[in-house]
This record gives sequence, structure tokens and C-alpha cells, in this order.
Amino acid sequence: MTLKVLAVDDSKTIRKIVAKAFAPYDCQVIEAENGIEGLAIAGKDKPDLIILDITMPVMNGTEMLQKLKAQSNLKDIPVIMLTAESGKENVINILKMGVKDYIVKPFKGEQLIDRVSKLFTLKPVQVQESEKPSCVSHQGDITIFTLPERIERQQGPEFDTMFQQTLKGMADAGQNKIVLDLHKIKEVNMFIVRLIIGIVQHGQRARVKMHAVGSGGLAAELKGFQETSELVFHETLDAALAAF
Amino acid sequence: MGDIHQLDLKSIAVNSTKQVFQTMLSMSIDVAASASDGVVSGKRVVGSVGFAGDVMGNINISVPGGFAKEMAAAMLGMEPDEIEDDDEVNDVIGEVSNMIGGDLKSRLCDAGFPCQLSIPNITRGTDFQIDTIGWVRHERIGFKKDNNGIAVDIYIKSVA
Repeated sequence: MTLKVLAVDDSKTIRKIVAKAFAPYDCQVIEAENGIEGLAIAGKDKPDLIILDITMPVMNGTEMLQKLKAQSNLKDIPVIMLTAESGKENVINILKMGVKDYIVKPFKGEQLIDRVSKLFTLKPVQVQESEKPSCVSHQGDITIFTLPERIERQQGPEFDTMFQQTLKGMADAGQNKIVLDLHKIKEVNMFIVRLIIGIVQHGQRARVKMHAVGSGGLAAELKGFQETSELVFHETLDAALAAF
Repeated sequence: MGDIHQLDLKSIAVNSTKQVFQTMLSMSIDVAASASDGVVSGKRVVGSVGFAGDVMGNINISVPGGFAKEMAAAMLGMEPDEIEDDDEVNDVIGEVSNMIGGDLKSRLCDAGFPCQLSIPNITRGTDFQIDTIGWVRHERIGFKKDNNGIAVDIYIKSVA
């Protein structure tokens, strides 16, 4: 069943980041920009989970939470607070109000998903086999994950999920060597860089040994980011395979 | 209640600003060699949040207009030329201000200065100056990202 998530935040940017975090999963994200809107939508749509900001105009998150807990038909909806305020007293007060968890901004979408995964089983969005681009191949015990020349922005979460599934398959098979083949990528932009950073971070968390194949320009670009600064680039796939 | 003169406002602002830029924008920023290096002039955007309670204050984050657009694009996972209007930029600068201000507010509360945070507001333009009156402490911290300056100004005074 699709998980219904209500994101209440006055910042459209934060609502977008929350929606993007849930995009690879079978979730419907509904948005509200203050506590009054949030309460109205909660009453109408009965979400399974509420992600709630604190500092908002019209009605803040604390007040919305109090009103939510006062309504018998809404009080059991789990709430995760997303707040820029991490003071000890503030955190204690939030927890006393019966929230399931809280996340302090700044945050990454992955952190949100980690926390939500403790409350719900998130199912990856099912992609038809015929629509799946083939990215994964094997050379002995080494997995090769190849990104295509062009990736549309909306496909980003799909490739991210595919990489995570590849890592899971490797872990199940007891393998830990992967080549990230980026040689087809010609146009480097922030979207591609962010996608690669996300993929590399998944690899780091899974503790796999990773080498990359790609142009000198891409390698230089990625060296400038902390997350990918230590990724070792090779000019050819053979060189990357030989590096293991 | 403690003494606001004992608070290490600079360290708090440096840590939270660097963390917000790194986590939300995937941007590493450096503290400028001197506060004057971080001065932002010309077309610029300023995000401000206030806090009020046992301590009152304001925190302003000033960035060049073009860089503000780059920040918006980075946070939204877009290209700068895909940012179509100022609202998206304002929202991102407001949220960055909220996160930096929220961290400072939290540290003030933990240090015995309970206070509440305001929602952010945005000032943008080319030829303006922000003057402040009556604050007991003012800290300016300059940062650099490539050729762009970022200035964080903190003004506080105790009320009680």
C-alpha cells in the first residue's frame, strides 16, 4: 500500500527536498505550508506520517502538534519533527509532546529516509522490466555499474535506487568490488554531480571497494567535492578492473 | 543566566554556516582571512532572522545576487539557469538563514538565554546599507566560496 506522507513546512524548498527523498519509494507526498493547512489536510487525507517543521507563520509546528494530539482521530498519526532548533530544552519539549522522532536541519534526504525506515517499511517504486535501463554487468567477482550518456533529471532517483539494489545484491553474494563506469557521460552538470555523489556515498556506507572510469574533466570536477575527492579515476575499464 | 560577552559567537557561526553549506548545498566554504574579505557589495541578497527572549538579536547572511541563484540551484538540485524567479532564491536564502539562526538560537538557549526565533525575511537590492542600533555585541564573519564573499553578521543584547 502506498505510504501517504504529509510534509508541513513554510519553505517550498524543504518540501521539495522531502518529496525528492521519498520519490524512489512507493509514497505519496502531500504538502502544506503552515499548521492550519497541515491540520486541515491531515483531517481530510489521514496521512500515515507527518513531517513537521516548527518555525512557520500562521500556525507553527508546536501548535499544530498540540491540536493534532487533541483530536482522537488524528492523535495516533506518527510525527517526525524537522527543525532548525536543536537546543536541549527544545528537544525535550518536542519529545514530551509525543513525536516519534526529530531531525535537526541541516539534513540530507537520506537521513530522513533512515528515520522513516525505523517506523515503516519503504517499498521501492516498481519499474517495469522493459523500462529498466541495463546498467549492471560483471567481470568475475567485480560488478560494473555503467551510467548512460544522458540521464533525465526525473530518472535520477531511479538510478540511485538501482545502485542501492546493486549493492544489496553484491552484499548477498559476498562481493565488495565495484567499478563505477562514467565514461559515457559527456555533459557534466550539477544534477549529474549530485547523482554521482549520492551513488559514491551509498558505496562508502556499504564499505565496497570502488574505482571509477571517466574523463579527466569529470574526475577533476568530482575531486572538488569532499564526498568524491578520494574516488580513484581510470581512463579505461580495463585499467579500473586491473586496479583491483 | 550567563554573560553574553562570554559566548563564542564566532565559533558557533563558523561551524553552523559551514555545516549548512556542506549539508544542504554540497559546497565547501572557507573562512575569509579577514572579516573585510567577506564584505558583499553590489547586487546582493540578505537573509535575516531575529530572536527574542532573555537575549535579543539578529543574524544577517549576505551573499552576491548571482551566487544566491547558485545556492538556490544547488539546494534544489537544478542548474542556475533553471531558476526562473526570485521566489525560489528567496526561499532558499531564507531557509539557510533559518538553519544558521536556529543553531545560534539553540546554543543561546543551552547557555541560559531562552529565546524564540522569528521567521526569516529577505532584503535584496544593489545600493543599501543595514544599520543597527543599541546592540551590545556585533560579530562579522566573512567566508569565501571561489570568488564569492559571504558575510554573516550577528547582533545581540541581553534583556534581563
